[in-house]
Amino acid sequence: MVVSKMNKDAQMRAAINQKLIETGERERLKELLRAKLIECGWKDQLKAHCKEVIKEKGLEHVTVDDLVAEITPKGRALVPDSVKKELLQRIRTFLAQHASL
Amino acid sequence: MKMEEMSLSGLDNSKLEAIAQEIYADLVEDSCLGFCFEVHRAVKCGYFFLDDTDPDSMKDFEIVDQPGLDIFGQVFNQWKSKECVCPNCSRSIAASRFAPHLEKCLGMGRNSSRIANRRIANSNSMNKSESDQEDNDDINDNDWSYGSEKKDWELKVTLPFILLSYTAKKRKSDKLWYLPFQNPNSPRRSKSLKHKNGFSVCTSASNTLPLLFSSSGELSNSDPFKYNNSTGISYETLGPEELRSLLTTLIFLFQQCGVISEHTKKMCTRSLRCPQHTDEQRRAVRIYFLGPSAVLPEVESSLDNDSFDMTDSQALISRLQWDGSSDLSPSDSGSSKTSENQGWGLGTNSSESRKTKKKKSHLSLVGTASGLGSNKKKKPKPPAPPTPSIYDDIN
Repeated sequence: MVVSKMNKDAQMRAAINQKLIETGERERLKELLRAKLIECGWKDQLKAHCKEVIKEKGLEHVTVDDLVAEITPKGRALVPDSVKKELLQRIRTFLAQHASL
Repeated sequence: MKMEEMSLSGLDNSKLEAIAQEIYADLVEDSCLGFCFEVHRAVKCGYFFLDDTDPDSMKDFEIVDQPGLDIFGQVFNQWKSKECVCPNCSRSIAASRFAPHLEKCLGMGRNSSRIANRRIANSNSMNKSESDQEDNDDINDNDWSYGSEKKDWELKVTLPFILLSYTAKKRKSDKLWYLPFQNPNSPRRSKSLKHKNGFSVCTSASNTLPLLFSSSGELSNSDPFKYNNSTGISYETLGPEELRSLLTTLIFLFQQCGVISEHTKKMCTRSLRCPQHTDEQRRAVRIYFLGPSAVLPEVESSLDNDSFDMTDSQALISRLQWDGSSDLSPSDSGSSKTSENQGWGLGTNSSESRKTKKKKSHLSLVGTASGLGSNKKKKPKPPAPPTPSIYDDIN
């Protein structure tokens, strides 16, 4: 029972992701988020943080994994509420449109 | 597909919300990942720290926000008070007006520029202390020398100006013609030019030389020199070189084709019957230089005194010889040409003048009349001679 439910959830998620990509909504959302983040200074804040990290580790020894580990939590936290809300709203509308099918 | 629909429709709101959050987190992580790749690439390529500046230089290039200064901290209305000195007339002109002034002053515009130039020269000569004489001379030399190497436009402007006085005497009105010749400080202006016949013509040392002559035909013509004087009036006020080049051009037009080539901008030196140019072209050139009354020389001899006749031209030739013999360098082609004809010119001089006496179209100059009395003396002409005195002196 539990396994079948998990299986069903996974299937559902996969189906939704498929739909997101097929309709191109994912690309649109990504582009919107990027624009919003640049607009609100998220990128500049992260860049400043990056500089600290890089200076700490040394220019030659920085790897992508290091950067991702350091930056991603910070990046998630720094997203402004307004941007988050707008994006969630768009995702919900998308889901509502396609859940009714 | 059917299952999918079922599953989607069967979800409750909390599940949908969870999925939405998941998608959002996914997207943010994507962005972060993209950013990390970007930074990493910049670091490895070495352009990540390019836009870094130290705080000192940041302070140096801070934007200035003060009244009266621009963002760089410079005073921005400085230019308003700036004045430029004109290299031509050495007046100081506001910077904003300098370009239009220079255009006029240097003669790039229309003919008005030359008038302006003349006016400036006149005013300068009125109070000589203003500018040094060398400058003035240079300006005036440019104005009044038309050697063969000079450009066409100089000839175009100056020649008709002088010839105006010449052709004007053809009209039978009693008008007085003022020709405000300027060449203020030129030393040759103060020279007393000696005529071949022992008659000295007085040229004025004054700076503005108003030429006054009348075209009345009722003047007494007993004096054989009078005609010479009358034809020579406008030329005697010119310097010897100027006179020579002018008259050389005139003679040229009576002896040679003279049509100005479109390519070389030079006058044709072939004979009047030159096959390369038509009579029409020759006529156009003569009208261009001598005014509408001028016609081709070969036709002229048969025409009456309304045209530019041969006696006049010969009188001119004689004047040229007088001039050429004065103090000119023989190397010049114009003077050498005149010296060839000198004997003939002298011989015909008096006879020609006698002929023209009968035509009753003469000019006379005030200055020359007074010059008759005071022979060989430098005597400045009155700047504006009273009209009645002309007739008194002459009669």
